[in-house]
Amino acid sequence: MDLFLQLAATGIVVGSLYVLCAIGWGLIYGTTLHFHVAHGAVFTLAAYYAYAAQKFLHLPLAVAVLVAIAAASLSGVLMDLLVYQPLERRGAIRTTLFIASLGLLTLIENVLAIVFSPDPLRLDIGWLGNAVQLGPVFLTRLHLVSVATAILGFLALMAFLKYSLWGRAIRAVSSSPEMARTVGIDLKRVHLLTYAVGSAISAPAGILLAMDVGAEPYRGTTFVLLASVAVIMGGIGSIPGAAMGALFLALLENLGVWKIPSEWQSTISFGVFLVFIVVRPRGFFGRKVQSAEI
Amino acid sequence: MRTILSSLISFALLAGMTTAAVPAAAQSAPIKIGAILPLTGSGASYGVWMKGGAEMAAEEINAAGGINGHKLEVIYEDHAADASKAVNAMQRLVEVEKVPFSLTSYSSPTLAIQPIAAQHKVVIMNGGGQSDNLAGKDYLYNNIPVVSNEVGVIAEWLAKDKKRHNAVLIVANDEAGRNSAATFRAKFAAYGGKVLAEERVALDATDFRAQLAKLKARGGDLLYISSYGRNVAIIANQARELGITIPMAGTSWVLVPETFKSKGADGMLVTKLPFDPNSAFAKKFKEKYKTNAGFFAVQYYNATMIFAKAAKAAMKKHGGVLTGEGIKDAIESIRSFDTLSGKLVFQANHGAVMDIEAGTLRNGKIEVEKTIKAAP
Amino acid sequence: MTAYLAHFLVMVAIYSILALSLNLLIGYSGIFSLAHAAIYGIGAYASALAALKLGLGFWGGMAVAASVGAFASALVAIPSLRVAGDYYVVASFGLQVVVLAVFMNWTDLTNGLAGLAGIPRPKLFGWVIDQPFKYVFLAAAFAVATWAICWRLTNSAFGRVLQAIRDDEIAAQAMGKNVVLVKIVVACISSALGATAGSLYAHYITYINPSSFSLHESIFIATLVILGGSERLSGPVVGAFLLLAIPEILKFLAIPDTIAAPMRQIIYGALLIVFMLVRPEGILGRARHGR
Repeated sequence: MDLFLQLAATGIVVGSLYVLCAIGWGLIYGTTLHFHVAHGAVFTLAAYYAYAAQKFLHLPLAVAVLVAIAAASLSGVLMDLLVYQPLERRGAIRTTLFIASLGLLTLIENVLAIVFSPDPLRLDIGWLGNAVQLGPVFLTRLHLVSVATAILGFLALMAFLKYSLWGRAIRAVSSSPEMARTVGIDLKRVHLLTYAVGSAISAPAGILLAMDVGAEPYRGTTFVLLASVAVIMGGIGSIPGAAMGALFLALLENLGVWKIPSEWQSTISFGVFLVFIVVRPRGFFGRKVQSAEI
Repeated sequence: MRTILSSLISFALLAGMTTAAVPAAAQSAPIKIGAILPLTGSGASYGVWMKGGAEMAAEEINAAGGINGHKLEVIYEDHAADASKAVNAMQRLVEVEKVPFSLTSYSSPTLAIQPIAAQHKVVIMNGGGQSDNLAGKDYLYNNIPVVSNEVGVIAEWLAKDKKRHNAVLIVANDEAGRNSAATFRAKFAAYGGKVLAEERVALDATDFRAQLAKLKARGGDLLYISSYGRNVAIIANQARELGITIPMAGTSWVLVPETFKSKGADGMLVTKLPFDPNSAFAKKFKEKYKTNAGFFAVQYYNATMIFAKAAKAAMKKHGGVLTGEGIKDAIESIRSFDTLSGKLVFQANHGAVMDIEAGTLRNGKIEVEKTIKAAP
Repeated sequence: MTAYLAHFLVMVAIYSILALSLNLLIGYSGIFSLAHAAIYGIGAYASALAALKLGLGFWGGMAVAASVGAFASALVAIPSLRVAGDYYVVASFGLQVVVLAVFMNWTDLTNGLAGLAGIPRPKLFGWVIDQPFKYVFLAAAFAVATWAICWRLTNSAFGRVLQAIRDDEIAAQAMGKNVVLVKIVVACISSALGATAGSLYAHYITYINPSSFSLHESIFIATLVILGGSERLSGPVVGAFLLLAIPEILKFLAIPDTIAAPMRQIIYGALLIVFMLVRPEGILGRARHGR
């Protein structure tokens, strides 16, 4: 039982990071229909921005984190502004955009590997690394912060989308771009905003992970893939669906190793996904997607 | 655009190949040997030691006139703990650079390149890998004892002296890790111990909590770490973080700088192979490379020196011509070499035996409690 | 130095086979698979194990590899029958990750990360093909054969059905084409060819381990197809030649390997972006009668 609780706790902690990643990616995908795998690069960049801010600018941790989130958000916006929008102006089809995004992800990850080295770089997290014991479960303070961040991030995003003017514009574009354009919404601006918000909401996940086990250049790919699996399973266009999908995958991965040898952990999510698309491609909460054509 | 690109690339290739094809001045042609080491990745700290040791040896050899008047040149290649890279490097060294000898490291890479060495009659010498499978292989010599030697010692010490009875294992999922774990099981059982559970991890992973949580649930009175390099410190820290309080243990390959610095590793029970941190060699190494020397630095210094002695003998015998086969014959006939670690005698299985020390890691230093003399 | 050039040409030949076979899926059928390295690996392991454990040698190993590859094509084909587009891409990523995990963790079969060493070089009429120079002929022969198969396939009624499916699957179905059967057949052939490349690789390098068949490898093979251009059959071959030349040039510039490896990835990534900006209408939909 103790083991079960410990694994469940780890699942929730890891799930927090998946949730932040998935709702950010899902927001971008649902609104722009860009298969933005370079979101993984934003996730990774956030970690390195935080590391650099702490190590080279000597900023206190909290400030470094805020700076990193802002920088990551800007990075996401620049990706749309400098790569995706020019492609769209030239009439690019969706596969083209995906390939360009893949190129961007590869490029950025490897630039970081050269600039910072491929080895994990630890941030100085001080008392956040202290252990905390909740009954039979052992965590660190950082883990508790991760869970809190995910909850707050999710609520903040939902509130933003529901109550703010910009949030409603995003939702309008998300549900029907043509309609939105007709009522005078500037699609390009909304896209940039979506990238800003989506990148900002996922940046903390990269930073928290780096604070726990160090910043590494190549982790982003796995995270963005898991995010896309979560979003597809939760249903495209649904933020709560993406969050639930992400949490579900994390719990599955961690509770799965209760009985399965732990070296198979990484295959659980993808194995489940492969079964899922054969059985129920539409997802649990999403809009009915007529055909999942590119 | 594509034609321009392809012409540029073809031209560059052609230019590069022609330059490289011009033979170097053949005055007193340097003797080239290879060194396939973990220069980057999770084992980079071993790489610093290994390369440093070999470099220092090569410099001394050349300062004393080289090998029968020929300058010794070491070509360093990086395998980054990936056996495929080691294979590529070995093929390059053998087919392009035509080396008669190469230093090698790590178990999986060494096992992967050994068939190539045997086929092309190139001697490879391993100063770091410890898998039992490294013994008794053609053209492969190990100046380090294979793991069953050291694991046997630590298993006995833990069972008898430290009174451990039930162990849980965390194992690196490669040749070395698995081999060492299997040997530990057998030896620990021979001294009355039991292995309750085993979890496998990837060498370059950074999160071991799932595996550690599962091991914690099985209890036991010892966590044996059959892994090495950078992740040992992470495993130790995360284990303590998860509330695992039982003692941890590992053989000499856990002793990398990260482990010495880690809080979680304090109190770890270890065996170590002989290394004197106050020797002249260690002082010179520290001065040159600005970091403390370790066991593996001496190992690769010794291995390079052994090569030099064997090469000189081989060239004398074969009228100034140096071949891998000549080096092999020389090693077999000389058999006993004077090294910085004392006398080294190659056994029939191409391996070596050494004294082993057992002790506890405290405050970044090892408190030796027992010395086990090498069985002849 | 000829040894070096020979080595380069062997790898170009092997990657040509991989790119040509993947192009059957990406360029001609519109099935954007990022799992080709998994198929490549399945072929390599099947061939190596057949040679090492069953003593079949190279030719037996290759036959086993091609057959196993054809069966493994089901992994690629079945998701393509249910979903397309973005969903399929994610599924193929997932497939790649799962197959790689099998290579790494089913240690009883594959020896895991330690890999399989001592894979025998091919024997032809009693001669052992042991020098890279001799291997060039063998690999080139297979590459030419692959090209011929792809050419025959795409310049036929079958080829036209493939393109119809790629352009508009629903219309093709409405016209009475058996889309399911066609997808299965093309996946089978593509995978059998890809597995054959794996066999060539295994018996050439004489050592395989999972790290050669990762997701990054899949992305690289797809990059070959995309940058080489999929509208002619020569495209993937040219792509292989050019992209494999880049790391060789980096080696001649004496850039240390730790920088060279990420640097070539940076170049590939940059090329992908630039190429997409130059040809935004995409790589699909322009395949004509191949030559």
